[in-house]
Order: sequence, then structure tokens, then C-alpha cells
Amino acid sequence: MPIERRTLLKGLAAAPAALAAPPLLRHAMAQSETLDVAAVYSLSGTFANVGTLLNNGSQWAMEHYGSVLGRKINYILLDDRGDAGEAVRKVQEAMSQRGIKHIIGCTNSAIALAVQKEVNARGGIYVQMAGADESTGKDCNKANFRWPVASYSAVNATMRPLIEKFPNAKKWYTITGQYVFGDSLLTNVKDVLKEKGLQHVGNSYHSLSDREYSGYIATALASSPDVLAICNFGNQTLDVIRQAISYGMKRNTKILAIWSTGLDQFQALGPENCEGVYFGCNFWHGVDTPGGREVAAVVKAKTGDVPNYLQACGYAVAQVLVEGIKKAGTTEIAPLIKAMEGMTYEGPTGLEKIRPEDHQVIKDYYLMLGKAKSAMKDKNDFAEVIAATKAFLPPDKTGCKMA
Amino acid sequence: MDTPRFPNVTTLIVAAAMIVLPFVVPATLASQIAIFATAALSVTLLLGGAGLLSFGQGLYLGIGAYASGLLLRDAGFALLPTLLVATAGTAAVAAVLGAVMVRRQGIYFVMLTLAFAQMGYFAMLAAKDVTGGENGLSGLPRRFDLFGATIASPLSFYVLSAGVFGLAFLAVQRLLASPFGSVLTAIRENEGRSEAMGYNVRLYKIAVIAVAGGIAGLAGSLHAVFLGFVPPTDVDLEVGQRMLVMSIIGGVGSPGGALVGSAFYTLVSEALSELWARWMALIALVLIALVLFLPGGLWSAGRHLTGLLRRRDADG
Amino acid sequence: MQLFLFQVLNGLGIGMIYFLLSVGLTLIFGLMRFVNFAHGAFYLVAAYLAFAIVGLTGSMVLALVIAPLAVAILAVATERLLLRHTYRMPHEAQILITFAIALLIQEVVIMQFGPLGQNVPVPQALSGVVFLGPFVYPAYRLAVVAVAAVVAVVLWIVVEKTKLGAVLRAGSESAEMVALLGINVDRVFMATFALGGALAGLAGVLAAPLRGVEPFMSAEALGIAFVVVVVGGLGTLSGALVGGLLIGLVQSIMSTLWPQGAHLMIYAAMALVILARPTGLLGRT
Repeated sequence: MPIERRTLLKGLAAAPAALAAPPLLRHAMAQSETLDVAAVYSLSGTFANVGTLLNNGSQWAMEHYGSVLGRKINYILLDDRGDAGEAVRKVQEAMSQRGIKHIIGCTNSAIALAVQKEVNARGGIYVQMAGADESTGKDCNKANFRWPVASYSAVNATMRPLIEKFPNAKKWYTITGQYVFGDSLLTNVKDVLKEKGLQHVGNSYHSLSDREYSGYIATALASSPDVLAICNFGNQTLDVIRQAISYGMKRNTKILAIWSTGLDQFQALGPENCEGVYFGCNFWHGVDTPGGREVAAVVKAKTGDVPNYLQACGYAVAQVLVEGIKKAGTTEIAPLIKAMEGMTYEGPTGLEKIRPEDHQVIKDYYLMLGKAKSAMKDKNDFAEVIAATKAFLPPDKTGCKMA
Repeated sequence: MDTPRFPNVTTLIVAAAMIVLPFVVPATLASQIAIFATAALSVTLLLGGAGLLSFGQGLYLGIGAYASGLLLRDAGFALLPTLLVATAGTAAVAAVLGAVMVRRQGIYFVMLTLAFAQMGYFAMLAAKDVTGGENGLSGLPRRFDLFGATIASPLSFYVLSAGVFGLAFLAVQRLLASPFGSVLTAIRENEGRSEAMGYNVRLYKIAVIAVAGGIAGLAGSLHAVFLGFVPPTDVDLEVGQRMLVMSIIGGVGSPGGALVGSAFYTLVSEALSELWARWMALIALVLIALVLFLPGGLWSAGRHLTGLLRRRDADG
Repeated sequence: MQLFLFQVLNGLGIGMIYFLLSVGLTLIFGLMRFVNFAHGAFYLVAAYLAFAIVGLTGSMVLALVIAPLAVAILAVATERLLLRHTYRMPHEAQILITFAIALLIQEVVIMQFGPLGQNVPVPQALSGVVFLGPFVYPAYRLAVVAVAAVVAVVLWIVVEKTKLGAVLRAGSESAEMVALLGINVDRVFMATFALGGALAGLAGVLAAPLRGVEPFMSAEALGIAFVVVVVGGLGTLSGALVGGLLIGLVQSIMSTLWPQGAHLMIYAAMALVILARPTGLLGRT
């Protein structure tokens, strides 16, 4: 006898289930006039530093919108505690037992890649901010939309302007995180160097839990490169920059952190470390755009400060979903996806567009240069944008085959 | 340890709890509790049975999970063979590592479990072409057939998880009540004396490490099946710590403690995490209190309580 | 060849920092056979205190005085209130309770300072680099190495020349013996915890400008400290020094030879030492 048919059991399970999760009870009573949007973030665990701010951004965006198509938006946080397994389980629960179809957010790539499969298989829609290329590459699917750029874009939008600016910087050294994301950045760096006829004088791999980089930096110093390109993410980027600077690397070498989160990392580095270092960023509060001003106003009302990348990113994925629903005129998944393909909207970085082929948001990626402390106009004025580039792999090269 | 009679009170309580569980919490949460109860059983057997403290049981959970992921996705295995092969394979790995680890005792044994667990994590990252690295292993099937039943809905996954936990629970309980279990107890109480009595202590330890590894591998296998995905956190040091914390909270004196510990940890984190992100502080406080005041864990609290009641009955 | 030489020097520098990180752990184990899983958390607290103090006053010197002292008090309080009760329990109970304390401290730090990493600037006077022959070396790192060397010497004198040292040495042989000598074991334990805490604190303050502070830095520190003391020999001062230098060297040299394997190698080395020479490379067998 298939277990499926025990509907009685299911029915009985449903009522007390609601008691276990108070926000859910409220939702059950007010389902008709509200729209449930679930957000998957890590509020505890080792990714809490990122997850907390992303969640703020998404939640504030939803509060700012309030409602869409006359339906009140009910923001439901699914805390995965930094565990991709928990994220999948909570999404399963939200979709199969609470009937939620609209999901946003992720705190790391593993979570996004797993959740995007889950949401697609269960007929929902998912807007997220993974860094992994696979998200809109070989693992892409109909349900999934991604706001930040892929590694190809980050590398090309930072390296090319830098090469143009310093045509004499011939020797490049890379320090790379030996994990999927680090390797994606490195592959793209090598491609650009090859195309431009520049010399890759060496690469050092480090592991996901390294904190001591002086050995790698010493190796890099020995090949006296013109540019040190850092291909990793998160705290490890900070540590490499900090230690490279302490070894005097800034004197003869330009340091480029290809994937940076901007303001929060600048604060963690302090102006003395940021000065003269090049950063690649998905968002910068100093870029004046209609969408950016809106984010700034929302965040300002909450924190009294300017938005950082994480808050803006959390805001952006919420915005993409809501703008999509507005354009579609319905919350039905199929027409919503259709409407979002090719949609343009005033996003945090300016006019942003969703590419229909792989559901990648086409937006600027910034090359930034850290300022001296004396040149900072206010406490957040750590860096200036020296190039804003939309550099994307053509859709047929991403490996995305949308079923 | 529990009395060897069957079915004893512990078994009945556990069975009743497994039946009630999906009525009081959502089915996916219930599955999570059952899967991690299975995982915690592995620690219960090692620590409660043989007095071996391991911070590294997460390694075996991870091996079971990744092995199952690859078997299901790339080798086209069905559900039952996957569970069996993952369990047996993980037990074999644990036996090999165990043969090395039993050469050391006490704190050095603990350090070895930590070292191997760390190496497992770095090996997973290094073999990213096979494991998917930090992105995890995805693309597992989402529907399974087992003995003619379809397993796809949350409730059906719960029935599977609960069934597997039930089997593992009975296995651990029988094992501890067997002559083998008595030798383990003797080793736990006084290793030197057991050795003097002519028992090959190392062999017994290797055996229990292998069985505990197999159980953790089974839990990992189940986790992969349940999620349709292998999260890289499954082989992280943290998962081994979590298993340890769960079994300590529940109490390692009885296999029933594994279920209590898993349920407590899972429900507390679930109920609190969205209200108070620092819920781990509460878990830490509970852990401190238990070590100081109730080394038998929550399960033994229940036992103390029933003991008190019984005494009162006798008085009245 | 020159690069190799530099990696050796640099490795020795890392090694001295690792020594500082681990020596408190080994002292407590040496006397009390007590494995303090909260050692990394003490280090964490000190690093955040340094962040707060430098942020308020701009003075690293003040942080170097206050933070180790505060952590010593924290360590003593922990010992008096909680750990004291576990001395008669099996090792497992001690490991578990200090593990739980570490977890608690980490959560409290996040409550207090938030989950994001923060910067602690290198003191102005030490922000440059020094030239050692053909090599450049950060001045601040050199200062940290110097402090670690001073700590090593002072500790050596304490262990070899003072009464506390005699007790420490006796204790690492046999704790019962110390009690038989009519020494107030209770007080000695307290003093050892204070010293262990202060050393973890010192390491935390000095590491803050090197690494910045973030709430999860304790786990990494604890992992390194374990490897160092296990490789060198649990419970001996010289073990922490040799273990620290060795791990520093391995890490630095491996980063040229086979960087991917650096971490794998370190833990493999730890497992090998435990198996081949459980008392560590310098421990008595």
C-alpha cells in the first residue's frame, strides 16, 4: 500500500504542525489576502555574519513594498543556521507543508545550488545571490534567478580596466582559494592574461580554512609581480590583503581583490589597509542611481547609515521578485517567470535587466580603488569607483541549458 | 544499561515517541530528528558503551552521505542497496581507522578523532571534482521505491527515517545487552583489568568503532536521501560536535537518550533560531548544567523522576 | 634558494606566534592533566577586548595590560565556578564542559560585538617593514616574535627556578605527589588557570592586528594549539616551543612546495606523532 495514501495521518499532522511554528499559524488564517515570501538565510553558525545583513536587506525591502497587487507581503524567514542541509529541509517544509511558492535568498553557494533544484522541482520561483557560476551555468533552471554577477564578469570587469590603466603591469601573481569558486575566478584570470599576452608568474592555492598566508605571500614576493590578484572570498580575502600589506607588498605591487563585498570589508580592513588596493564589488552606495537612492533611504531609516553590499543584495533579490510580480500582474509561477525573463527595472546599481537565456541579472560590476584616510569625505568614503562594467559571458557559453 | 528483556520500557517509550512525533511537528522536522537520532546513536554506542569519546563521528556521517550521493546519482543504485552499501562501506572505513586509533587512549584518542575528521574535510574539498567541493553534491533522485511503496512525500520520508532509526536503535540496544556489550562495559570501567582477564581489548574497540561508524554512515546515507543533496557541512567538524552534543544532552547511558538529545537539540534550534539567533548559548548552558549535575543526560532525568514516583507509590 | 631561506625564517616567525598561542594550553595540561577546550575562547575574548580598548583609547599598550589580566580573571572565575567540580570526573566531562564554555563565550561575544569581523590597526610605530638582509619582514610581526621569545624565557625561568615551577614540574609527573608534598593544590590550580588564561589573552591581543577580530577565530586558534602541543608533547614548555616552530616551518615551507596539502599535512603530522610518539617529539616516553 503506498504510504502516500495515509491522508488521514497527513491531515492530523497538519494542525499541530502549525503550533510548532507561530508565524505559520498567522499565515494559515490570513492566506487569502497575503502573499507569503520565504527567505532562506543563516542567522547563526559560521555564516551568520553574512546572513544577518542579507536578511535585513530582504526584510526591509519587503516592509518597504508592504504589498503587491493588493496582497500584503508576509515575509517568512527560514533560518538554515549555515547548514545547506537545513536550508533544503526548511524549503521542503515551507513548500510542501505551508504551500509557499516564492522563495528568495541564500547565504552561500552550496545553499543556493541545492535550494534552486528544490524550488524548481516543487514548482516555485527563487531569486538569490550565489557567487557560484554553476547557479546560472550548468545548474541553471527555469525557477532560478541570480542577482550578483558570475566569476567571469567579476574577473573581466576588474582586470580589463586595470590592464588598460597600467599597460606596463605585465607580471601577475594569483593567490587562490582551492575550492570551486576560487578556481572559477582563477580560470577566468588565466584566460584574460592569455588573451592580453600578459605573464602569469605563479599561483598559490590555499584551503578553505587557512588563516596564515605569509608563506604564500613570501612566494609571491619572490617572483616580484606587478599585480597580485586575489581569487577567493569572505574573511580570507581580508586576511590575504592584510598580510600582503604587512609584508610591504603595496610598495611595488598592485593588489586586486577580484571578489569583495565592499563597505563591510573596507570597515573590517580599516582605511590604512584599503588605501591603494583595488577591489571588485557588486554594489557601492556612492553610485548615484534612482534604485540606489531607494535602497539608501530604506536602509538609512533602519540603521541611520548607508547600505553595504550585503544589505543591498538582500534588498535586490526581494526587489527583483516584487517587480516581477508587478510586471506579471499575477503571483502564478509560470506567467511570473515569463514576465521576469527580459524584465528591466531600476535596481541598486542602475538599470538592471534579467537575461532570459540563463536568468542572470545583467548589471554593473565595479572596480574600486581604496582612498587614503585623509582623502575620505566621510566615514564610509573608503574607495572610489574607477570603472563600472557590464561584462558577461554570452549565454551560449555559460553551460546553461534551460529545460 | 537497559535490562536485556524485550520489549522493555525504553523500547516502548521510543516506539511511542516515534509514532507521536509526526503528529506534533511537521514531517520534515520529524525526519530530521530521526536522522540525527540515528547519528547520535553512533556516539551513544561509543561513549556510553565503550567509554570512547569521539569528536569525529561526523567524518563517518559525511562518508555515508557522499557515498550514497555518488551511488544514487552516478551508479544508479536503488534505495535499499544504497543504504546497505553506504553503511557497510563506512563501517569498513571506520574499522581501518579504528585499527589505527585504538593504539592510543584518553585524550590522545580524542585528538586522533579530531585529526581524522579534519583530514576528511580537507580531502572532500581537495576531491572537488567528485564531491562538488564547497558547493555540495546535488542532483540526487527525489523519488524512491522501497518494497513496493513510493517514497517522495515528507511523511513517507519520515516513515523511512523512523524505520531506519528504529532498526539502529534495536541493534544498539541488543548489542549492549549481549555478551559483547558486557565486555565493552568492562573495558569502559577498567581497561587494564579487562586486558588482564584475557580480552583482546583492541579488537573489541575496533569492532565497536566499526559498528558506530556504520551507524553514522547509515545516518549520513539517510540524510542524503532525505535532502536529495549532500551538503558539504555533512563532513564538517561541526556535524561531529553536533552529534556529540545531542547524545550528551540526551544521555549516553541508554540508546533512548539519542532520540531525546536529537529531539531536544533540533526542536530548541527550530523554535528559537528565528526568534533569538544566539540559541547556541542556551544549548551551551544546558550542556554545562548536564555535565555538572546530571551526567546521565535528560534520559536519566526521566528515570530519576519515575524512580521517585515509584518510591512514593511504595510509600503510599 | 633564497626563497627557501626566507620561508624558513618566516616559518620560525609563525612558529613563535603559534608557541604563544599554545603555551597556556600546555601549562594547564601539564599540571592538571586538564584539556582546556575553552583556550581558544579565552584568546577570542582578549582579541575583542583589544579591539574595544584600542578603539576607545587608541593604545595597544593599554590593551596589552588590561586584556590578559581580564582574561586571567575570567579563567579563574571559570575554574572556581565550574571546572573545579569536574576534577574528579573523567577526562570526557572536562572536555565537554570546556567545549560548552567555549561555545557560550563565542555566542556572548557575538551578542556583544555583532557577527561581522572588525579591524584592529597595527600600532603606528610598528606599521612599517624591516629589512633583514635581502628580505622584508613586517615590523609588527617582528615585535610579536620578540614578545613571544621574552615569554618563553620568562616561563622557562618560572618553571625551572621558582617554587611554582617546581610544583608544575612535579605535577606533570604525578598530581598526587604534589598533594602529598603538602602544597595547597587548590591554589596552585587557580594560579595555573590564571597564568594559562593570561597567556591565551596575550596571544589574542597580539594576534588582533595581524588577523583582525571575528567571532569564529577561536576555533582556528584552538585547532592550531592542539596540533602544536600534541606534536611537541602535551604538558611540556619546550614541547610547545618546538611544536610551534615545527608547525610554523611546515606551514611556511609547504606553501612553496605543495600549498594544497598544507592543512592536510598538518593534521596528518599530528596523527602520525600521536601514533608513533604519543608523548610528543620532546615528551618523556
